[in-house]
Amino acid sequence: MKQKQADRYRLLLIALVAIIYIFPFLWMLSNSFMSEKNIFSVPPKFIPDLLFTDQVLDNYKEVFTQYNFGRYTINSLWVYTLAAFGQIVVCSLAGFALSTMQFRGKALIFSLLIFTLMIPVQVTIIPEYYLFLKLNWMDTYLPLIVPSFLAGAFGTFMLKEFFSQVPRPLFDAGIIDGVNAYQMFARIYLPQATSPLATLFIIAFMNNWNDLLRPMLYISSRDLYTVTIALSQFQNQYGVKWNLLLAGSVLSVLPLLVIFAFSQRYIIESTMSSGIKG
Amino acid sequence: MTQPPYRWHSKITPWVFIIPTVIGLLVFRLIPIVSSLYLSFTDWNLLSSPVFINMENYQELLSSEDFLGIVLNTFQFSLIYVVGSIVCGLALAVLINVRIKGIAFFRSAIYLPVVTSAVAVGIIWNWMLGPTYGLVNNLIEAIGLTPPYWLGDTRLALNTVASVQVWKMSGYYMIIFLAGLQGINRDTLESARVDGANAFQSFFRITLPMLMPTLFFVLTITIIDSFKNFELIYAMTKGGPQNASNTLVYDVYLNAFVYYRVGYASAIAYILLIFVGLMTIFNFYIKKHLVQSLD
Amino acid sequence: MKKLLMVLVVLLTLGLLFAAGRTETKAETEAIELEWWTWDPDMLEQNQQIISAFEEANPGVKINNTIVGTKEYWTKIRIQANQNKLPDVFTMSSGYIEEWAKAGLLYNLDAFIESDDTFDNFYQSIFDSSREISNTDSYYAIPFALVTTVLYYNKDAFDAAGVAYPTDDWTWDDFRKAAKQLTLDKNGDGKTDQWGHWFYGRYAHIEPWVYANNGKLIDKNTMQFNPDKNAMDAIKMLCDLVLVDKVAPPQKDMTSFQQQDVFSQGVAAMWVDGSWFVDTLRKNVGDDMRWGIARVPSGPSGPSGLTYGWPDSYAIAPNTKHPETAWKFAKYVAGEGISLDVYMAGKIPSAKKLAEDPLFADPSQQPGEEMNLLIEQANGPMTTSYTMGWSEWRGYGGSESLGLNGTIDAIINGHMGFDEAFKKGTENINAVLKRYYK
Repeated sequence: MKQKQADRYRLLLIALVAIIYIFPFLWMLSNSFMSEKNIFSVPPKFIPDLLFTDQVLDNYKEVFTQYNFGRYTINSLWVYTLAAFGQIVVCSLAGFALSTMQFRGKALIFSLLIFTLMIPVQVTIIPEYYLFLKLNWMDTYLPLIVPSFLAGAFGTFMLKEFFSQVPRPLFDAGIIDGVNAYQMFARIYLPQATSPLATLFIIAFMNNWNDLLRPMLYISSRDLYTVTIALSQFQNQYGVKWNLLLAGSVLSVLPLLVIFAFSQRYIIESTMSSGIKG
Repeated sequence: MTQPPYRWHSKITPWVFIIPTVIGLLVFRLIPIVSSLYLSFTDWNLLSSPVFINMENYQELLSSEDFLGIVLNTFQFSLIYVVGSIVCGLALAVLINVRIKGIAFFRSAIYLPVVTSAVAVGIIWNWMLGPTYGLVNNLIEAIGLTPPYWLGDTRLALNTVASVQVWKMSGYYMIIFLAGLQGINRDTLESARVDGANAFQSFFRITLPMLMPTLFFVLTITIIDSFKNFELIYAMTKGGPQNASNTLVYDVYLNAFVYYRVGYASAIAYILLIFVGLMTIFNFYIKKHLVQSLD
Repeated sequence: MKKLLMVLVVLLTLGLLFAAGRTETKAETEAIELEWWTWDPDMLEQNQQIISAFEEANPGVKINNTIVGTKEYWTKIRIQANQNKLPDVFTMSSGYIEEWAKAGLLYNLDAFIESDDTFDNFYQSIFDSSREISNTDSYYAIPFALVTTVLYYNKDAFDAAGVAYPTDDWTWDDFRKAAKQLTLDKNGDGKTDQWGHWFYGRYAHIEPWVYANNGKLIDKNTMQFNPDKNAMDAIKMLCDLVLVDKVAPPQKDMTSFQQQDVFSQGVAAMWVDGSWFVDTLRKNVGDDMRWGIARVPSGPSGPSGLTYGWPDSYAIAPNTKHPETAWKFAKYVAGEGISLDVYMAGKIPSAKKLAEDPLFADPSQQPGEEMNLLIEQANGPMTTSYTMGWSEWRGYGGSESLGLNGTIDAIINGHMGFDEAFKKGTENINAVLKRYYK
């Protein structure tokens, strides 16, 4: 019986902790149903004033109709799905080479990859901007997608570890069958990797979704706006439209939350099998 | 699996696989980094061409007392973030590591701040930590204590922002630790329990040592992530009060995008780079001496 | 496997096609095409209407409007300048006119203005103000609006406390007396619920008082920060409101407020800031609170009649291929072809017919007739503290916690003493100014 009691206490503790993590979001959600005047009012109003009225969804309606949020969400979905796809392609290729092959400069490339991963974007953004300017890629999605098709440090790291764990007999069987490297990759290693690939896809997608700096600098046409640019539209030099910003923020979190909720066990299991446990 | 001791492929093949990565590294990482180095020796306001001024930027940096404070802030932020994230992430993972119905809901709840934008997080916490009407201070007053100025006090501002960043990201590290915990051999734990070990002993003597590879991985990525604090600082304190919560990354932003001193900003960025390099070396030192080889 | 590759290739191609955006069709007519850059995303539709009207009246001309979000506008347009690809007509702020004019990045408008009827339609004083801010002898920008600074006051709070409304003759003593009467602890819990006034180191909170007292912050001969006695008196008076009279809160108490909410939510009975907040107050407060605007009270040096105000303008690219058309269009969007509703309430149009429109002082909206104060201010002398590098030494936007802004905040927050803070602040500010003015 002691175990059951201990379990109950544990659940209580978990619930308390979860409140600390979810409370700010609940507050954000509640305020997204408030009219502009009453947000951040002093003393604070906890019950959103629009909640029990006909206008409860006004903020959300305005965000969709006046600010075209639906279109921007689709833009973001498109762009970042493509970018995440690029990541799984390029990181699996690189991870495979780094883990199973021998070539000069292997250690150097890997170290450089890890090193450059650490550098914050502000350090390199202006030369990067110039580069895209010269390439004439301004106001297109190319700056947001193409880099993801070329290099990915986190993904390569993860897949290298995973591929190193593939059991030797599988590799040897391939050699005996006389496969070349491409076949070894595509027929033997890649099918094993559906879990980490899916995880990488989701992580790459999530990491990019909230990026503001790059879309801001590279996109100017309204039709091409992403969700993050859309959110920043609610702020100008004279103030912030909090009610719309919060409604928009709630909307921008939802896709990610849904993805995470449905795939979390998957992510955990596959992170486990990608060699992090050792 | 250890690497095959022989080369089983043609010499060119690995390069076919690795060529996108190499191009990406070169074009989108190394070239901008080298350009930034060049820029750090210039004075450039973006309107005209960069003007070569030799070491002046670095001289200005090293003789600035504000700058020393900013460097220390960066260290402090990273320290709080790395330690906080590892401790919170691990604690949360241990707590959540049960098979109860509905545990998935709680995992999602804790992960929620990870996917919320830093801007929204900053706004909300700014409000909750508000001096007079903020929720946190009202609670503290309710139990009879005087609440501090979380964001307005020069001594507290940096720690407050760092703590909010830890809060935001702990769900992410929790997931990674959870994965690591799943991989711990149940039998070892079971036999330890049969032998009479209590929860503490089995955690510290069995679980923790077996978690070392995971710990190292999390250490690596928390160090990397500890520098990504720009958006939160912008949303909460804008580096204030008086540089108290200014870090190298925010200072680069200020100088590059607000003052338009791109050359000077690049010099700051390079100091940051040296910092990062030191952390990388420190990281691999730990790996070599404290963690068993993964291969 | 092959199938998978095929799918990949198709997806990739589709993706890249989509990513490359829309293809540009270059018109092969003789049309004149102008690029127009602005920074207010709210104006998208209105801008299109303005463009259509201009294109109709000027066949053969095509205008492309690019709206860049405020935060990134300056970075992007600087890079355009660097590439010699500036748009033909673009928004220019007073804070940067000097730097851009001196770098040769703005079209010199003297010739146009001399040979034109510009000052029949536009207020010369506003153009002159722009020229003065540029610190040159030429006109480099076409102002479309003037903004000034005023004292906002909460009429309901005044009535409740039985205090007479501010007048043009108000002195600092009148102001302080009123502030004391308006600082109230409404529920007796020992905490002030309504402050008589509030401010922090922000440029629009401090400078108006300095200039209302005939003070100067910058010594124009040396281009160094050297506030004179009048300026220091003004700043000291403000700081004392917090530290001595306790009629205004320290900045650190107000960090959780959006700055313009303090007045609109009744937390402070008076507030000095830009005249454009008339627009915000009309929208957020409506008729829930009665409020008005008045002149910033003058100090012991006597009424100066000097207003802290500056224009928002358009500029023309120095290497524009169509200067005459650009000039025509710039004047059009600066006032000749637009209507009053394009303007944020509280911004004074530089076009005479718009400023003289009776709807400017719309009696059906607050503050009603008091809006005429803005016209008075526009007709009187104006000054600013703008220099090159202003946002760095003044502390503005992303650097608000630093510079002069940060110095004043340190004083009212009790972090540093007045003299000590100013000594350190002056050193830092002059280090910045020296970089721009050698």
